[in-house]
Amino acid sequence: MSPLFLASMLVSPLIYIFVLGFAFGGAIPSVVAGGISMSYILFLAPGIIVSQFLTGGVYAGASIWFDKRFGMFEQILVGPFTKTQYITSKILSVALQGLAMAFLVLLLTSPLLSGLSVSFLGILYIVAAWMFGSLLFGSLSIIISTAVKTDEVLNVVFNIIMPPLLFLSSVFYPLENVPALIRALALANPLTYAADMFRAGMLGLQTSYLSYEVLLLVVESVSMFLLAVKRFKGIKI
Amino acid sequence: MTSDYVISVDGLVRAYGEKVAVDGVSFGVRKGEIFGFLGPNGAGKTTTIKVLTTLIPPTHGKVTVLSYDVTDEPLKVRRRIGVVQQQPSLEMFMTVEQNLDSSGFLWDISKEERKKRIRFLSELFGLGDCLKSKGPELSIGQRRRVQVARELMHDMDILFLDEPTLGLDPQMRRTLLDYVKKCASEGLTVFFTTHIMEEAEYLCDRAAVIDHGKILACDTVEKLRSRFGTGTIIEFTLAEKEVSLKSALMSVKGINAFSEPQEEDGSFKISADDPSGVLPELLHALFTRGLHVTSVNVKESSLEEAFLKLTSEREAKA
Repeated sequence: MSPLFLASMLVSPLIYIFVLGFAFGGAIPSVVAGGISMSYILFLAPGIIVSQFLTGGVYAGASIWFDKRFGMFEQILVGPFTKTQYITSKILSVALQGLAMAFLVLLLTSPLLSGLSVSFLGILYIVAAWMFGSLLFGSLSIIISTAVKTDEVLNVVFNIIMPPLLFLSSVFYPLENVPALIRALALANPLTYAADMFRAGMLGLQTSYLSYEVLLLVVESVSMFLLAVKRFKGIKI
Repeated sequence: MTSDYVISVDGLVRAYGEKVAVDGVSFGVRKGEIFGFLGPNGAGKTTTIKVLTTLIPPTHGKVTVLSYDVTDEPLKVRRRIGVVQQQPSLEMFMTVEQNLDSSGFLWDISKEERKKRIRFLSELFGLGDCLKSKGPELSIGQRRRVQVARELMHDMDILFLDEPTLGLDPQMRRTLLDYVKKCASEGLTVFFTTHIMEEAEYLCDRAAVIDHGKILACDTVEKLRSRFGTGTIIEFTLAEKEVSLKSALMSVKGINAFSEPQEEDGSFKISADDPSGVLPELLHALFTRGLHVTSVNVKESSLEEAFLKLTSEREAKA
């Protein structure tokens, strides 16, 4: 990936954190989540970083789509690799990009996050959110890319799936005081689990159901990966 | 199938739903051989190559490559082959150099060796000036050259070439065919599909002709020519116009077939198995009738003639 492309991917999360964070931060003096009161921007930043694992994951499927479009798909499949290795490499690639993005966003927003201390357990939460979040969303996008037949349908599917995944989650707001329907939908959204795990790691902010979220994210991401492998193996050439 | 074949295909059937693309095909390819797989568009060539390179499984039949069953041990097959596919392929966001280098890297070629091979292949295929260019900046011919060069970055036992000269100019075609010939002389086995008979004739030791999913003939190129071609052709022209030679040629032994001049070239054509025996008698017969020969040309019948005869016979039967 070129440095220019990486830099362009930073624009969106930085706008979310700095513009949305400060703009809403003026209207919302403090956010209470998991019994802890904090500034809105402090609540928002970890959520936005985690959302990069979702947007990054889309590139796994898009990359396979580009391989198909430019003839590399069949060429790679006659190479000395298995199909499982092929899709694992795509997921690993977007996971590392996601990690690089997260690191850069953290670096650029560090003045806002000063005073935070992350425990060993916190690091484990952060790593797990990154690993399993990337695995889940990377696998999901690969499943989509194997199922659709045209560029247009691929864009339509991503455009339909992305906004609800992003906005019906705990990325932008705590779930304590939202309407029941939104809360129910957000609690079924794996991005919520990854965001809550990341916040638990960074801010020590733990929801009462965090252990269930960890379990669900692990089970869902592994299941999604196995499904992606199964679909990929059955792909018609 | 004998065990000295590195590619062994026995009763291969490949169907896509109701449509049978390859229908009971059997053949073998020996080590170090350049084997042509010839057929018109849609004959089943690419489907066969896809089965041989483990992209798709056979519906029926037994297919082994380097003694590995393509269904049971596909990875072992893929580790020892190279494939230039018919469809263009390129990492569009990478430069030519990155395309070549990443291919070598994926095949576990050392950095030092990759550099050497990139230098050699870019020179061979005239890519030296565009090593830093990315896919969209390249012409179709350049992309094709990158595709071919990329596949030659790694070592292999068998090279599969599926219409590799599509999009190449005549000079580059010849460069590629000569390089393939050189590699084959050093022990590489080549499986080559094409519908361009001149290329097959120039390159192949043996060839199979496939049409509508069935093999019509499989033999050495020379034997295909002699079995299905029209023998050696003697072409000659006369100073005299509108002469009929039918009766004059009746007395000449060894003539298989004879045709009067067609409007476009004005030459008589004789098909004969032994031109050195026929030619003196022919000239004598013409001379004794007071006719003046202005040109004589002896040429071998081409693989193309054999190919057209085979595929048109099949068409007529169908």
